[in-house]
Amino acid sequence: MEKREILIIGAGPAGLAASIEAARTGAEVLLVDENDTPGGQLFKQIHKFFGSAKHKAGTRGIHIGQQLLEQTKEAGVEFWLNTTAVGVVGDRQVALVRKNEDGISETIVVEAEKILVACGGAENAVNFDGWTLPGVMGAGAAQTMVNVRRVLPGRKILMVGSGNVGLIVSYQLMQAGADVVGIVEAAPKIGGYCVHAGKIRRAGVPVYLSHTVLHADAGEGSEEVSSAVIVQLDERFQPIEGTEKRIDCDTICIATGLRPQIKLSTLLGVKNGFIPELGGWMPIHDENMETNVKGVFAAGDTAGVEEASTAMDEGRMAGVSMAYDLGYLTEEEAAERKQEIAERLKALRLGPFGERRQNAKDRIVAEGKKHE
Amino acid sequence: MSDITKTGFLNSAELREAGRYPSEERLAKGPTAVIECCQNIPCNPCETACRFGAITVGDPITNLPVLDESKCVGCGVCITKCPGLAIFVVDKSKDMATVSFPFEYLPLPEKGDTVKAVDRAGQYVCDARVLRVNNAPANDSTPIVTIEVPKELSDDIRSIRRLNLSEEDEKAELLKIDDWSAVPDDLVVCRCEEVTAGDIKKAIAEGAATVEGIKKRTRAGMGLCQGRTCSKLVSRILGSQTGMKADEIKPDTARMPIKPVSFGVYKE
Repeated sequence: MEKREILIIGAGPAGLAASIEAARTGAEVLLVDENDTPGGQLFKQIHKFFGSAKHKAGTRGIHIGQQLLEQTKEAGVEFWLNTTAVGVVGDRQVALVRKNEDGISETIVVEAEKILVACGGAENAVNFDGWTLPGVMGAGAAQTMVNVRRVLPGRKILMVGSGNVGLIVSYQLMQAGADVVGIVEAAPKIGGYCVHAGKIRRAGVPVYLSHTVLHADAGEGSEEVSSAVIVQLDERFQPIEGTEKRIDCDTICIATGLRPQIKLSTLLGVKNGFIPELGGWMPIHDENMETNVKGVFAAGDTAGVEEASTAMDEGRMAGVSMAYDLGYLTEEEAAERKQEIAERLKALRLGPFGERRQNAKDRIVAEGKKHE
Repeated sequence: MSDITKTGFLNSAELREAGRYPSEERLAKGPTAVIECCQNIPCNPCETACRFGAITVGDPITNLPVLDESKCVGCGVCITKCPGLAIFVVDKSKDMATVSFPFEYLPLPEKGDTVKAVDRAGQYVCDARVLRVNNAPANDSTPIVTIEVPKELSDDIRSIRRLNLSEEDEKAELLKIDDWSAVPDDLVVCRCEEVTAGDIKKAIAEGAATVEGIKKRTRAGMGLCQGRTCSKLVSRILGSQTGMKADEIKPDTARMPIKPVSFGVYKE
């Protein structure tokens, strides 16, 4: 068994930012990620981020990620890639399966005084008839294909879901050379930011509001998607007969939201609350991102699905809190830093979009306080 | 005014009505920024980018940017800084107007090319000549394309048709059909264990009232992905069959290993 002061699971925006904050104070930090490259979803984000100068607004996500990665090196963060957290074997003891350079996996148990679960979210599926055909995939998968692996998943894409993920991935698929033949949205309005919608509208992409995919079909003699039938929905989200339209497409991307990945935190004994705005069941936590289990923290999409900017600041908050709890920061230093981060988080949760998330966060934090 | 959450944009008349479009007098004097940012999102790089102090967001950061048209020189630096690509520069000072817009698609047009100008809905408006393509390093891969268009169309033209689209793509049309069918019972819900919607409904009819109970009866969620794909779908079917609300449907029990591992790792 290995021992560390801090173990962080997931090297996405939250985990990277947390590891930097904590390691800079002198704390001993081990950061693990199941993938062969760090960054989580951050390195797939080739668009410029919103926010203020403090949030590095106007900088592309991938460049923000590269800066964070540099900072983990400077701060002396210990990094294990190809390392999957598979379970919990004792009090604050996490079982990790680590693949070494020879491709051989071994189990290592790490006991840590502080554990941050920052393993992100999982995409929600929708099960229309034909959803198992090759060519139907998560929007996140399509984004990984074009932006990381440089593979075009198809030429004619039908996007399901008009939240920011659906809008941004549609845009990026067009940038990669595909055409997006339409965006299908069950709600009567566009879910994401209208500036993102504006970009894809100018590119001539129709948005089918109050519509859903009825079924996806393979062409004659083919076993892959070659078209989809969409249908209009009434106010109670029931299909309206006679409004079916067939759309030619070779790929259907599903962008119908994400939910927090809670299995690891649940095994650590963390209680979950139900917050629909942030993806459903999620670990309850306080303002410091600490859960009802002392010493166990959650941040980023695991602690409620938001965006990369909020994930980074939640990670920073957890990093500072863990370092302070371990005695690496004075009360004044920690309070000042926490105040700074809290203000930035608050700024990111302003406006008609942010208020909903702020309100949801307030509810989960109130829930978290009950358990203190 | 149309609802921006239905269209994704406001047209020029609506922007004017909302007081968010430069005056005709200012546009007639020379290039000026047109900021088509219409939702209160927390963002202010435009304010930071303008060295003439012509754009104000202020506090809170969710304020809509306000353009001081007397200070704006139409330099276009803000075009590439706006993460929403919602800023344009329009100039109506000469016989023909110019429209400058961000264009992040390859291939890029070249100076002198004739391109198809489109409006905010991507609809073809007219052919236009490319005057400039600015892809300076400072733009951080957001090229600015400037095209020449008739003055009366310059308030509506906001981009050009992507150059990699074939003629055939332009004619993609929708076919009306009537092969309506409901989601069948043989639809696979858990792909790893090949459990169908019918299997799940049957388990519910037999008394399964939790995701865990359905898992025990059908193996849904016990395969390679450990429910990552199907658990939400199973929850939805449970909700629709029983009328249970989403917050009454608990996730299935987490068990080690939460990710599939090979037997080899257990050897010690």
